[in-house]
Amino acid sequence: MLREIRQVLRLIQLMGKQRKRSSLKNTGAILVLLWTEKGSSHQRLNCTVAAAGSWCFGIEMQTLQADLKKVLLPGVWPCPEPDPEELTAFTDLYGSLKFLLNFQMKNPGHYSSKWQVHVKAFLQMFGLTNAGIRIQLKFKIHGQKSQHDFRAFLISKVALSVRPPLILDVTCSAQPWCDQRGSWCQKGHPVVRERFPLSIPPKAMDQGLFGELSVQIVTLLSPCVLQYPHLPTELSRMQVLVFSPSNVPVSAPSGFFQTLPVDLDYQHLGLDRIHCCSSKASPDDPVHSVVFTVEQENWDDPEREPSHLPVQQSLLVLLFLQHSDPFTSQLTDKMDCELLLELHLEDILSNNRQAVTSALQAELFNTMKALKERKKKREKLQSAAEVIVSSTISIVSSSSNMDFRNACLKHMKVRDTHELSASLRESLWRVSSWKRLPKVGCYSAQVEGQAASNEVVRAEI
Amino acid sequence: MSAFEAQLFSEIDKLRVQLLNNVDIIAENQRAVEEISQDEILTQIEGVILGIMTSLSRDEVPILELPNRSSWANISFDSAVGLQMSSEHSVTSIRSDCPSSVTKFAQILKILSVVYRLVQSNSYATKRDIYYNNIQLFGSQRTVDSIIDDISCMLKVPRRSLHVLATSKGLISGDLCYLEEDGTRVDCHSSSAVNIVSSAKFIMIVEKDATFQRLLDDNLCTKLSPCILITGKGVPDVNSRLMVRKLWDTLHIPIFALVDADPHGIEIMCIYKYGSVSMSFEAHSLTVPSVMWLGLLPSDLQRLRVPEDSLIPLTKTDENKLNSLLKRPYLTSQPDWCKEIELMQQSKVKAELQSLSSIAPDFLTNIYLPNKLRYGGWV
Repeated sequence: MLREIRQVLRLIQLMGKQRKRSSLKNTGAILVLLWTEKGSSHQRLNCTVAAAGSWCFGIEMQTLQADLKKVLLPGVWPCPEPDPEELTAFTDLYGSLKFLLNFQMKNPGHYSSKWQVHVKAFLQMFGLTNAGIRIQLKFKIHGQKSQHDFRAFLISKVALSVRPPLILDVTCSAQPWCDQRGSWCQKGHPVVRERFPLSIPPKAMDQGLFGELSVQIVTLLSPCVLQYPHLPTELSRMQVLVFSPSNVPVSAPSGFFQTLPVDLDYQHLGLDRIHCCSSKASPDDPVHSVVFTVEQENWDDPEREPSHLPVQQSLLVLLFLQHSDPFTSQLTDKMDCELLLELHLEDILSNNRQAVTSALQAELFNTMKALKERKKKREKLQSAAEVIVSSTISIVSSSSNMDFRNACLKHMKVRDTHELSASLRESLWRVSSWKRLPKVGCYSAQVEGQAASNEVVRAEI
Repeated sequence: MSAFEAQLFSEIDKLRVQLLNNVDIIAENQRAVEEISQDEILTQIEGVILGIMTSLSRDEVPILELPNRSSWANISFDSAVGLQMSSEHSVTSIRSDCPSSVTKFAQILKILSVVYRLVQSNSYATKRDIYYNNIQLFGSQRTVDSIIDDISCMLKVPRRSLHVLATSKGLISGDLCYLEEDGTRVDCHSSSAVNIVSSAKFIMIVEKDATFQRLLDDNLCTKLSPCILITGKGVPDVNSRLMVRKLWDTLHIPIFALVDADPHGIEIMCIYKYGSVSMSFEAHSLTVPSVMWLGLLPSDLQRLRVPEDSLIPLTKTDENKLNSLLKRPYLTSQPDWCKEIELMQQSKVKAELQSLSSIAPDFLTNIYLPNKLRYGGWV
């Protein structure tokens, strides 16, 4: 079912592209309704995909022609109409339908709770790079209802080389720690790199994939700590997501990425090691991201105070595949190309191993370079702080002026110069680490009044 | 005194009478002897530390504020004192939470702790000692020197009160004896400040060490006895300026400057007379506004017809320096000096004292200086 949903989204995206909607705002909404009929004796899962808004402008409000539907969605059957109330509720919010497609799958094993999680994850990923589109996911399965709404709180328009601009969801709800004052930037700051070509391997060409293939990388480091230049930070995680030319998430080939750590130059990066902790993609989880854990040199300092632990940052790497073939103009041909790309993605990446590895190495290097510069500044502050503390203690300890000594101990709320030393050190660390420099482009909300997260709480009926 | 000596010093004696009539001796002596007690220094330093603790107790960043010693905007001119720091002056903030300034913050604290110990134990250390005790922290001697002056300015105390000494640069010779605090009697007749004794008629500040040595070799101290020669070997250090000031406060005799006829020499002379921007906070103990310009004057070059091949064309830097000098507040009260500088601008040439030897080898010591002093050839 997930493959079918992806295929439908791909269809909407390509139909929209065909109508050159790049000049229009990429906003609107999509409803994905997965439901079973009441009283149905057979395990049949129905799916309704409806779309409204400018993102599907120009698409005729019509179900697809039967033969086209058969080509694009071969394993599906016709299905009854969904509850009109569901569609009404949607159109009331988002306007008249521009697209509607209903189909049925006959495969009982697909709608476990784990499968629902996969669908949710897939739509979340879709929403990440199509942030102008509000997504409603509804399950009405055997009397159990649930609804999930995905909409971006903070978005960023990102210009890619040969595509219409991306609308990226850059909301970051992660808070570095839970007990501090101050406000955090809840926005990611995407970094776009140069596009580079990929050669198509012979096996893919034999199956009909031709033309020019390339990939462009966009990265997001979160949480953003730009406003706190002296806070210690550490890269602990990297996640890789892959998107097709129609901007639909596809499965990142785990075989390729699991061997990636072997090819990286750790010394150049200043890292201890990177470990791929994603398992292989399964049929139940056809859209799969790859996650790496990152270990720094001098990973664990047991003497570090818990409150001095560095902020753990995660690097999201988005690979946007781009394909053009002058001999492919029909919608079905484009859909076929995308499917071929998906099918041969592991092979394509392996065929371009050096280029892809170099690109990912460069991303990691740039990220680590920025982190190293922060660390260097921190070390300068720490080294100076030691001199400040020792000089101050030297004066206080050797002073015969009791009023002065007592005033110092009282100010720092300590009993003697030994405690004074620790208190001074801690205070200096605190005032320098928490120094905030507002940055243009950052979006901050106070910790207490934090903005809403991406997802509205499910409504259980 | 012989008739020759009476004739030689007649103009100088007249000048001395004039100077004594203009000077408020009592006030000057009070200023000169005003010293800060050790306890006051310790209290000042404790005040700085307490300020840091107060900031930290409020979760605020400790900041040290240093008066800006390099800005002309912080300087005012008083003809009786010279260049002095204005009571309202801009400051530079040295923050402890900023990587670009935290090292300086730490360096200042370190030197404050060293000074605290020195003053408390009544011992002394040189700037060099302080640098070598922590080369990694300070990086260069210049850093230590600058911070010590910053601390002196911040606490508003003379550097000597911090018990930090500088390696002396200047030289002195002539009719002068004085006793050091430990009872050592120093006789400057031979070659090598309490109870200064001298019958010198005048003091001559010599710009360059080379000229100073030349004058000693030509026995000028004997020829023009009684007199005192002093040199700061170029731009004078604080000790040399202090010595000149001390001699003025004690002896109240005319002080003449013998410098090259070039912008650099004029500027050095102005430092002795009016002080420097960077040490303006200590002007009262370092400047001697009564210094007179004896030579080499630009007008001397024309008058004496110094050979042209001994004259050097002014560079663009020289011209800029002359323009800058003319704009300085102290020169507006010195019309004769302004005329000399304008003459140099018009002639577009400069000359060193050594150029006088092109007239005759001993012209400087046998003709030029004696005549200048005899006939009042100073401005």
